[in-house]
Amino acid sequence: MRDRRALLAAPLAGYLVLLLAYPTVFAVKLAFTDTVAGRFPSLASFRVLATDPLFRRALVGNVVLPVCTVALELATGLAMALLLAAPLPARRLLRAIVVLPFALPEIVFLAIMRWVFTSRGYANAALAELGLAPVDWLVPGRPLTYAVVVAVDAWHTTPIVFLMLLAALAAIPDEIGEAARLDGAGPVQRLVHVTLPLLRPALAGALLLRGVDALRIFATPLVLAGVEGAPVLSTYAYHQWSDYGDDGAAAAAGVVLAVATVVLSLPLLRRRAEAVR
Amino acid sequence: MRRTLVVVALALAGADLVPLVLVVKQAVTPERESFAWPPTWLPGTLTAENFRAVTAAVELGRGFALSATVAALTVAATLALVLPAAWLAARRPRADRRLDTVLTAARLLPAIALAVPLATIFVALGLYNHPAGIGLWLTHTLVALPFAFFPLRAAFRAVPLELEEAALLDGASPIGAFVRVTLPLVRPALGAAALLVFLVSWDEFAYALLLQVTHRPLPPLLYYLAAFGHPGLASAVATIMLAPAVAVVILLEPALRGGVLAGSGR
Repeated sequence: MRDRRALLAAPLAGYLVLLLAYPTVFAVKLAFTDTVAGRFPSLASFRVLATDPLFRRALVGNVVLPVCTVALELATGLAMALLLAAPLPARRLLRAIVVLPFALPEIVFLAIMRWVFTSRGYANAALAELGLAPVDWLVPGRPLTYAVVVAVDAWHTTPIVFLMLLAALAAIPDEIGEAARLDGAGPVQRLVHVTLPLLRPALAGALLLRGVDALRIFATPLVLAGVEGAPVLSTYAYHQWSDYGDDGAAAAAGVVLAVATVVLSLPLLRRRAEAVR
Repeated sequence: MRRTLVVVALALAGADLVPLVLVVKQAVTPERESFAWPPTWLPGTLTAENFRAVTAAVELGRGFALSATVAALTVAATLALVLPAAWLAARRPRADRRLDTVLTAARLLPAIALAVPLATIFVALGLYNHPAGIGLWLTHTLVALPFAFFPLRAAFRAVPLELEEAALLDGASPIGAFVRVTLPLVRPALGAAALLVFLVSWDEFAYALLLQVTHRPLPPLLYYLAAFGHPGLASAVATIMLAPAVAVVILLEPALRGGVLAGSGR
């Protein structure tokens, strides 16, 4: 009986072996194959990466963009959750509206942002209405380009952080804040000494989940800035694969990204394992 | 204080409406107006010509059909794989630990790292750039698994074990007990998971871009339309794409608190 029940997960397990485990092994093999001479094992693809300045920029970008994006969306997500947890008129409608950016399919959101930030786009039109000179938002490689990518990516994904923190806020009993208020704590003191400590687990959860997600940032830099404007490992791998047809270098860049993801997500996996236990 | 909060909340909501308003505006304005400088904030002329152009373009019609087919098949495959596994996870802690770890890992894996080897494997199997999107369907199912598994496991956990045991004592077979007792109780979660999975596939861009290079579903089609300067046509496609997405998110709003939307448990 015991063994037969475990068979319920067999279709899923078989599927995961074929579509997850096998391609992962295949990716590692591809990364260590010299795709020109067909030799395995070989470090040829990693040598391509080591000598490519674009790869170095992608590596740096894959640190800078996720760190800035996640910091920005945690700050705004927290502020939004605190704001919309307060008893405001039409709170339900407001909550639905602030989730809208994430409700839009990513590529739809990014297509709009492209029109917003092109030289004759809506951002410069808004500046012109204020009597200001137009700005070149997306010149490849400039800090402003990275800032736009960070702002757009954070705008799209902040609703996830907002929803996670809103749920955590709702789980805090009103009596706790009430007790602090009766003890003479002001709103700022209550926030710092009562609400934020109670939100810590949710904040840590959001940080881990979004942090690991942000590492594989791909569509935002690609759509806004192309493969060389604000390169990250994913756009670099895509560039190698689709523009040069170099499977080996693409797989090698993918392996670098996957290893970084696994290392950084170990705390998340451990946290989950403990929570399940 | 309170007035300031209300003003800030309204400003925030206003800003978050801007992208949606702009895309719908571009969809109902003639393309030449979208190219004008300075760009208009509201439509000068209303037109349906962009939507007519969408229906006239054969590739867009095919893209729409491909996106819908792949999303529907992804829902079917994902639920078929996840339903028994999620039930097992809710009842067996040991199986749960393994499934939780593997599906969290699947959730975290970068698309590009997997898309490159998958493309090579699919080429060998004749599934790469498949006209009916079979390779993309198999891949989207992998992406969608966690989005169905975590909410369904939570729903199965909420079904009292005693109900299933009572049905078994009354002579029902294990499958009969599952279909007639357990499944009806998790129907709301099942519906929510199906909608969410549909959306995951409908919105997915990276795998679609790499695995369907000429038989393109809507997301890569929109990418090329936007990149090559068709604001009106692209916005009409975007409006068609965002309609089901926005509807699903508004329908699911109450269920989306916490991490469900992000494909994580609890």
